[in-house]
Amino acid sequence: MNVKIFRWKAIGPLLLLFLILVVLIWIFAEPVARETTEEASTELLGTQVDVGVLDLHPRQAAVDLRRLQIAHPFVLTRNLIEAEEIRLKLNPEALAEKKLVIEQLNLSGMRFDTQRKTPARAPSREGFTGQVYRAVEQWANQFDVPLLSLTPIDTIRQLALNPEQLTTIKQAQAVLARTDSTRDALSEGFRKLDVRPTIDSARALVERLRATDAKALGLEGTKQAIESVRQTLKSVADARERLNVLEQNTTAAVKSLGEGVQLVNQATGKDVAFAKSLLKLPTFAAPEIGTALFGKVSIDRFKQAVYWAELAQKYMPPGLRPRATPGPQRLRASGETIEFPKANEYPNFLLERGTIDFVIGGTGPVQGAYQASVRGLTSAPALYGRPAVISAGREARGSAIAAIDVDAVIDHVTSKTVDSVNARLRGIDLPSFDLPGIPFSIAPGRGSSELAFTMKGSGIFGRWAVRSDQVGWIADTTGRALNDLERLVGRVVSGLKALDLVAELRGTISSPKLSVSSNLDQAIAKRLKAVIGEEVARAERMVRAKVDSLVADKVQPVRQRVAAVQAEANKRISGEKQRMDQVEKALNAELKRLTAGLAPGIRLPEIKL
Amino acid sequence: MLGLLKLIQSIIKTLHSAGTPGQVALGMSLGSALGLTPLMNVHNLIIFSLLVLLNVSFGGGMLGWMLFVPVGFLLDPVFHAIGLELLEAPSLRPMWTTFTNTPILPYTNFNNTVVLGSVVGWMVLTVPIFFAARYGIAKYRATIGERVRQSRLYKAVTASQVYNIYRMFRP
Repeated sequence: MNVKIFRWKAIGPLLLLFLILVVLIWIFAEPVARETTEEASTELLGTQVDVGVLDLHPRQAAVDLRRLQIAHPFVLTRNLIEAEEIRLKLNPEALAEKKLVIEQLNLSGMRFDTQRKTPARAPSREGFTGQVYRAVEQWANQFDVPLLSLTPIDTIRQLALNPEQLTTIKQAQAVLARTDSTRDALSEGFRKLDVRPTIDSARALVERLRATDAKALGLEGTKQAIESVRQTLKSVADARERLNVLEQNTTAAVKSLGEGVQLVNQATGKDVAFAKSLLKLPTFAAPEIGTALFGKVSIDRFKQAVYWAELAQKYMPPGLRPRATPGPQRLRASGETIEFPKANEYPNFLLERGTIDFVIGGTGPVQGAYQASVRGLTSAPALYGRPAVISAGREARGSAIAAIDVDAVIDHVTSKTVDSVNARLRGIDLPSFDLPGIPFSIAPGRGSSELAFTMKGSGIFGRWAVRSDQVGWIADTTGRALNDLERLVGRVVSGLKALDLVAELRGTISSPKLSVSSNLDQAIAKRLKAVIGEEVARAERMVRAKVDSLVADKVQPVRQRVAAVQAEANKRISGEKQRMDQVEKALNAELKRLTAGLAPGIRLPEIKL
Repeated sequence: MLGLLKLIQSIIKTLHSAGTPGQVALGMSLGSALGLTPLMNVHNLIIFSLLVLLNVSFGGGMLGWMLFVPVGFLLDPVFHAIGLELLEAPSLRPMWTTFTNTPILPYTNFNNTVVLGSVVGWMVLTVPIFFAARYGIAKYRATIGERVRQSRLYKAVTASQVYNIYRMFRP
């Protein structure tokens, strides 16, 4: 029987089907690629990305994008970047391996921080960028930025404090409980030590030997007596060893109680601060005023740097180990797509060289043609072997008082990653911002701003500086009438025409420390201290007295009890030691006497146990 | 509802086609790849071409596709586990590294756990599917097949225009 394997008549329809597929791809490739680019970029950056037009040029292996908008991830009504035209020249060889290697990127008509026509979609809470967004928000919220209080002093009448709100009392009760348990534990330790029988038996032996003439004992009797003394000395030494262990434990327990008392004292300090916060006493400490005024706006700047640095850590990991990423979104499960980087091959993504031309128009001193360049932005820095470098600056040398310079380095070539950015803007119109806690906004006018941020492993350093000598002040009088203190602060700040602000971030990403200083907070602090310093000091004394009166009867017994336990423990330890010293000394004396009778003139070495 | 009707139509037409039980079963086992694995992948283009070009039941292929789509969804976690195991096996790492760095091959998406796991799963299941389908069709034709052929429903289905197109591809 002749079995027919192929259905030859089906070749025609199959080819026709493939032809239809090719035509469909030809027709829909650009819109599909545009949508895919928008979706993928939005997911990658965690903020809405819009592409107006996408043109494919297969013969040149190039892609043209027009009207690109990247929304600000933290301010949805603004665009971080807008670009009129982008041309990507791709490497066809890498494309055959499903890798995106951009040999040359040309970007023109770029604008920064522009207003959007419609607000961007809120960043997705799903996926990695959502996690980073949430983590960065939490990171920013961990800073304890005090609110500047300008409550008039004459409204501070009395302080109603509930003792249950005070941590000193809770802390004191905890230490008291610990003191009792420590005392019981020490008593149990002394009971278990039980050195009395050893000391009693040693004393009895000493008494017996003293009453005995060594010569009358004879050689054998003297040997037995010496052996008895040695045995007893060994028992005393064992007991001393046990006493030493108990002493160490006692010292640790007593030290711990002392630390507990210190914690109670610290808690009292915190309670005083808490009580002061209830009164909303104005502060005139310059660092606190600086943090209150500029803390939030500084954190907002650093927060953005942390966000992009965290994304770079994720998308540009060091090393060549296989790495898994979530698979494509589809009706079926996405699974995980695993990349297998290979030495001397292309990475999955590489922007070899990018040139960005942008013009700052108008008549301002920073106007002119600028050029930015990007090199070595890649998904596998270890394959590329060099750090990614981004820089931007004016094409022609401009005036020293006005320029924009940006330098950024992303070094993930080895596991010791370093991300750093330095942005210097001089002669630009600085944006206005509100000053929390006081009804004024500051319009810094034209000035300079610098942002430096470095993330080295888990360590971070950030510095944001703003300088201007054209500061304007806008009073917010829409809500209510200003009180005396607010008017005073208003008079102080409105007299200032210069702003010199420096905010610094140090520490680790998990434990950052923010410090802010400015000429503004120093001026406000000085004036506030002169006007209300005495009244605030009086109110603070009242607060301290109130807190002390509430906690005194709880704290004093604790201090006494701890002191008593410490004294008792020391007394018992030293008493036991003294008794042991005495009996040991007596035993050594008897040993010496006995050995002298055994061999007169021969000096035996003293036994040290 | 339309999908269900098409499924019934496909079952009826396929079970009574001129193809032998072996041809229908082979079509079903090939078509099951379209259902078990994520559809939009290069390997499915090859499977589809084989279904068209080989002298197997095309209807059987479509039937296998439709029957195994829900099975594919259900088995996705298993396929992911299989794929992950294979892709993370240290002994296979050199092979995957070469595979994903060779032109054209990365477009198979075999470095995706679900794609690889489902393709491997289909390869394992295709032989049992073939034998089970062949046995089932032979049994059906020998028992109730003739009565169904005489029914009004069957006549209505086979009289439709779609059936004429389908006849072009029957074995």
